[in-house]
Amino acid sequence: MLHKKKRKLGAIIINFIMILFSITCIFPIIWMIYSSLKTSPEFNRSIISLPEKPMLKNYIDAFRISHMGTYYQNSVFNAVVSLVIAVFFSFVIAYFLSRFDFKGRKVISFCILLGMLIPVHALLVPMFIQFKNLGLFDQRFTLVIPYVAVAMPFSVFLTEGYLNSIPIDMEEAAVLDGSGFIRMLFTIVMPLCTPVLTTVAILQLFTKWWNEFPFALILVSSERYKTIPLGLMNFSSQYSTNYPMKMAAMVLAILPIILIYICFNKKIIEGMIGGAIKG
Amino acid sequence: MQLTNKIGGQIMTNKMLRPKKGIFILLFAPGIVWYIFTVILPLSSSLVYSFLSFKGMRIDEFVGFTNYAELIYDKIFWLSLKNNVIITVLCVVGQIGIGLVFAAILNMKMLKFKNLHRSVIFFPGVLSAVIIGFIWTMMYNKDYGLINFILEKLNLDFLILPWLDNPKHVIYFVSIPLIWQYIGYYMVIIMAGMSAISKEVYEMADIDGVTPWGKIVYITMPLIKDTLMVCLMLCISGNMQVFDHILVMTKGGPGTSSMVMAILAYNKTFEQGRIAYGNTVSIGILIISLFFIVVSKLIIGGRKKDAS
Repeated sequence: MLHKKKRKLGAIIINFIMILFSITCIFPIIWMIYSSLKTSPEFNRSIISLPEKPMLKNYIDAFRISHMGTYYQNSVFNAVVSLVIAVFFSFVIAYFLSRFDFKGRKVISFCILLGMLIPVHALLVPMFIQFKNLGLFDQRFTLVIPYVAVAMPFSVFLTEGYLNSIPIDMEEAAVLDGSGFIRMLFTIVMPLCTPVLTTVAILQLFTKWWNEFPFALILVSSERYKTIPLGLMNFSSQYSTNYPMKMAAMVLAILPIILIYICFNKKIIEGMIGGAIKG
Repeated sequence: MQLTNKIGGQIMTNKMLRPKKGIFILLFAPGIVWYIFTVILPLSSSLVYSFLSFKGMRIDEFVGFTNYAELIYDKIFWLSLKNNVIITVLCVVGQIGIGLVFAAILNMKMLKFKNLHRSVIFFPGVLSAVIIGFIWTMMYNKDYGLINFILEKLNLDFLILPWLDNPKHVIYFVSIPLIWQYIGYYMVIIMAGMSAISKEVYEMADIDGVTPWGKIVYITMPLIKDTLMVCLMLCISGNMQVFDHILVMTKGGPGTSSMVMAILAYNKTFEQGRIAYGNTVSIGILIISLFFIVVSKLIIGGRKKDAS
């Protein structure tokens, strides 16, 4: 009897600790969301109280002043274009590395491996010089170039590992049936790789593309090519005193992420840690 | 993380699948050229630039090891490295340590809403570092910050500090948002490692009357050692590169008290216009990161040999 009671008490304590911890992990964001619905004086009076009359004026102001629409377009453009190109390249490169032996295979493997070890910040300065000298600085496509390249090493690595575990019988059968190489590659092998390519896409989307900051900071300077994190940085330093409006701009920036996360959190979590576990 | 890439066992000896040379080049070359142009080329030119001086964006003259000499005698560079190391140590303890504790709790049978907890704790990890930086700048604010507010309400006024304005402690406080953001990430990785342990092991332990604490220490911990090593490597390489969070929160200040290597390279190049030296700092980052990776690989490799 006593033992049972003790167990129950333990369960309550454990549940309580966990709930407390979860709240600590999410409260700053909730605080930001509901505070963004207050007026500035109301926020100054009490920073923690719920809004008396929730209002969207901050959002309208923030959207108008901050060019958030343009930043959105740019972020979506960069993410989508990078995703398509990087997944395609990674798949093709991984396939060749996994299936064939050819001249230069080892060198290419090594270069790609090296890419996983190079810290991004070691590339910033020389890349800036190179882009500036070649006229690639501050163009529509500027950011796609590094976004695809930095995503490649790990994507190739994961895809190659996955391909190595797929027997080649299917491909052989397809070729025996008279299918051409390109058709075989994209209608038979690529669908087989959907799980790993999804992992790659999710992983890179959240770690490299949507939230990317340093490359955007140094390679883009005009307002019309800025991405969300970069635009937010400028906006916030200009309007540093009006907290609710600043918060509204940030909520605007993360709203789609919140919605996507609510719907697909299981897939996203799996994708993001998938790389770490398989590596 | 397995970085040595074994050549797969399926490299074809029969030439049946091999495409024609034209198709091969058409498919394979663009990605490789793109990659070499964006990663390998800047990396190699970076090495060349480090022996040159610049006038604006133009190469001026060969200066030998002058840039490197400046780097070695640059106290701020070593201070930045020290800050990187402090942040890394705090994050290893904070992210992996706390992550481990909560992964263990989340594995307990008596806990409810496991998936909800997992998703909520992981959430900050999908946000941009810029957002995290701003949220925490507001949390740390003297007058309107959440932290001071809570401390005041709890009558802990003596704990109220100028969080990000005190050069002595700022490095600890800029680490907290980093830890906070990625606890969930490491927690989920560790949970995945734990879920690979078969239930039978625990059932056997139950029969033998092992306490829950004993199970964690004698069963779980040794069996997830590899997972923890992966976490350790991710944590080290991630935190040697920390940049966005600190740039947003303090820009390396006050003074240079929260300066890290990446911000130093950025400041030298883009704020002070010293391209040659900023580039040399980048090489410093590269060398130091590779050094840490090699050391941690050696430690992990050594351990694996012990185990077998």
